[in-house]
Amino acid sequence: MNIETVIIAVAGVFAVASSIGVLLTRDNFYAALYMSVTMIFVAAIYAAFNLQPVVVIIALIFVGAVGIVTIAIAATYRAKPSRQVSLAWTAPVVIVFGILAYAYYKFATQDLEITGQEVFPAVASDYFFVVVFLFSLVVLMMLSAIKLARRVDL
Amino acid sequence: MIDVDVSQLTVILTISGAILLVAYLTAISAKDLIRLLISLELMFAAVFLAILPLFTISPATGYALAIITAFTSSTELLVLVTAIILLDRRKRGMGVEKVAVGGDSI
Repeated sequence: MNIETVIIAVAGVFAVASSIGVLLTRDNFYAALYMSVTMIFVAAIYAAFNLQPVVVIIALIFVGAVGIVTIAIAATYRAKPSRQVSLAWTAPVVIVFGILAYAYYKFATQDLEITGQEVFPAVASDYFFVVVFLFSLVVLMMLSAIKLARRVDL
Repeated sequence: MIDVDVSQLTVILTISGAILLVAYLTAISAKDLIRLLISLELMFAAVFLAILPLFTISPATGYALAIITAFTSSTELLVLVTAIILLDRRKRGMGVEKVAVGGDSI
């Protein structure tokens, strides 16, 4: 078993563990957070194969749009009272933030090599009809949703 | 095009199946629409993992399927958010037990 397989397996174990967190937690807000963490680990598996466009799709659309909207809805319709922030969690959060800040600082001081610059411009030409049809689908669904919402009596 | 050996393929498909199973369990134990929405998005995460081996055969098809999956999940989010708002307006709640019709009787 090579190192890539180990990385994929570790990311997968964390993804399954966070999805089990969705199943076990009673609070929808935390379930939405666990769901976003699951998606991030799925993106990590794609990153292990250097499929960066899919990582961007998952991070921007799944986590950035769908996940955040779900978290916002879950927080809005939260049935249980919100928990107080435990001070015991402050120290690990500060430590992790410090490690991340140091890592970003180290990467910023090194030379970055940008590869595959032709990938994103090619999306507009190679997948033009797919994107147009899917945008049309989303607009149709939005119009149907607005029509349905207007029919309902308040 | 990427290289995926048999052990990596086994790990990926096993993880995908496990996430899909957890999503099914979450869906059948859901008591409100928000939990149902979360379980459906977990299912899309499992689908995303399941299409990864396609990149070994045809990367262009894989990218197209990834885009379609992302848009489909966004549309599904839109539909379920509408359903949540409508159910809250009509039934004054999120619970699936408030829906009196649908399904089959045993």
